[in-house]
Amino acid sequence: MAEGFDIDHLAKLARLSLTAEEKALYASQLGQILGHFQTLAQADLPATADGARVVDESVLRSDEPGPILGAEVVTRIAPASRDGQIAVPRVVDDES
Amino acid sequence: MSQVPSDWEVVIGLEVHVQLRTRAKVFASSPWGFGQEPNAQVDPVVLGLPGTLPVVNREAVEKAVLFGLVVGAEIPERCAWDRKNYFYPDNPKNYQLTQKDFPVVVGGRVEIELPGPSRNVMGEHKSVRIHHAHLEEDVGKLSHAGGGSLIDYNRAGVPLLEIVTEPDLRSAAEAEAFLRSLVAMLTQAGVADCDMEKGQLRCDCNVSVRRRGDAQLGTRTETKNLNSISSVRDTVIYEAARQIRELGAGRSIAQETRGWNAELARGYVLRDKEDAHDYRYFPDPDIPALKISRETVARLAKQVPENLYDRQRRYVEKLGLPYTAASVLVADRVLAEWFEAAVAAHPANPSGVANLVANDLLRDLTAAVPPIPLSACPIRPASLAGLVKLTDEGVISKQQAKEVFTEMFNTGQEAAAIVDAKGLRQNSDTGELEKIIREVVADPSVAKSIAEYRAGNEKAINALKGPIMKRTQGKANPGLVDQLLRRILG
Repeated sequence: MAEGFDIDHLAKLARLSLTAEEKALYASQLGQILGHFQTLAQADLPATADGARVVDESVLRSDEPGPILGAEVVTRIAPASRDGQIAVPRVVDDES
Repeated sequence: MSQVPSDWEVVIGLEVHVQLRTRAKVFASSPWGFGQEPNAQVDPVVLGLPGTLPVVNREAVEKAVLFGLVVGAEIPERCAWDRKNYFYPDNPKNYQLTQKDFPVVVGGRVEIELPGPSRNVMGEHKSVRIHHAHLEEDVGKLSHAGGGSLIDYNRAGVPLLEIVTEPDLRSAAEAEAFLRSLVAMLTQAGVADCDMEKGQLRCDCNVSVRRRGDAQLGTRTETKNLNSISSVRDTVIYEAARQIRELGAGRSIAQETRGWNAELARGYVLRDKEDAHDYRYFPDPDIPALKISRETVARLAKQVPENLYDRQRRYVEKLGLPYTAASVLVADRVLAEWFEAAVAAHPANPSGVANLVANDLLRDLTAAVPPIPLSACPIRPASLAGLVKLTDEGVISKQQAKEVFTEMFNTGQEAAAIVDAKGLRQNSDTGELEKIIREVVADPSVAKSIAEYRAGNEKAINALKGPIMKRTQGKANPGLVDQLLRRILG
């Protein structure tokens, strides 16, 4: 396991099946990326207010219903559909 | 109901998801509502199509702030949204917009009332702490058919307030009382409708058990997606019993996510609880943090209605109402306000008004086919007050008041007009009444009752009232009859 992360766990979360060589390569590359961020984090910067990313209520939208796509369009742009609904491979969260 | 052994303590925390009362979705302008064709309430922002950007709905923020003010919470100057990443097709973006580090509401308390020993007696009150409440988007609905799953995104993007309690609840009854109180507060303030039939309130229920006296909390399980108050109650009972049984047998409790099968009344294990960092929360780059002005908070504070239990205390302590009537009236804000309008028209007898509103009026409104909402009530508050006033002044008897009430309900006429039209005014002519009473008292058939009364049997006097009322065809004022009779009998 490389420092700070577990490549097997990350691969599982990303739904990737990796060979041993790929694991070694990606672990090394990811380690370099994280190392770079650690360097950035250590930089001595003046404390800046994050106010630049804070907006006031004037940017909020009013509670006015707007246009919809319509079920016909929604199902047409989906890769697969059935009975007006978007169809995907079976995902189960039921009592098993 | 299975009882928890006295040496064990159950600890419960709830996460309550409530759909806020808005017309448009929380980050998109698509309308939403129950019972539409699948995918009819979807726009490009809801689907997260390329080039779209979310914009926060002002009403959703204000409803969330209003909730915070209702429970006496802090409304921080700043709130912000995060992405909660996961792969599941109920969300087209592969992340849910939620608030992790800077929720809109922090802290607060909800007062609850437990059932009393009987309906007439108030139960214990308790205060439940709110940890925080955050504003997020609801997700789509999946149905599983054959080899595939079908998705309806109508619900995706509906404003959802997740209210998280501290682990302050100690029994199924307390969890139930909390939810009832919360629903009353949310609906009375107009924050949400909480219609559970429509899935507008859903609950995740965290349960753990420990030996009484232990300082440390036990390992908890989380039962997700409970859509009724009774399911929460049943889950707590089931989960507490299961955990006590496991621990009692020397096994340990796994920290797991569970589901509830309401039909079979049993819980079951869902997927292993993913560690929080698996969601890779990070600040959403599309939605800047929001500064909520103190002016907005002050404006919304004026919309906070009187707290349900403050109102109940006021009715019992200041207006002298019995608990039963007070608890019925305060459960519905519109009803309570109707009652108060009637009391304002006849302040001398709030209990008399309450009795008619909580019993006769409610009964007739609900018994009507179809039931009549209070807003369409044929009787106005001041008219009902007029009826109580006529009874209090002895113009009609309580028995006659029932008859007049029914007539008012059916015709919408004023009480006084009905009393006159039916010739119901009671006889309050003392001279004539006194003559009748003297005749009745002189009748030998009542001599025994008179003797008993004079010997100290208070109740014996009632035997004389029947013949007097009969002679006056029920028009005599009962209070006056009693008064005169006692004077005549000495």
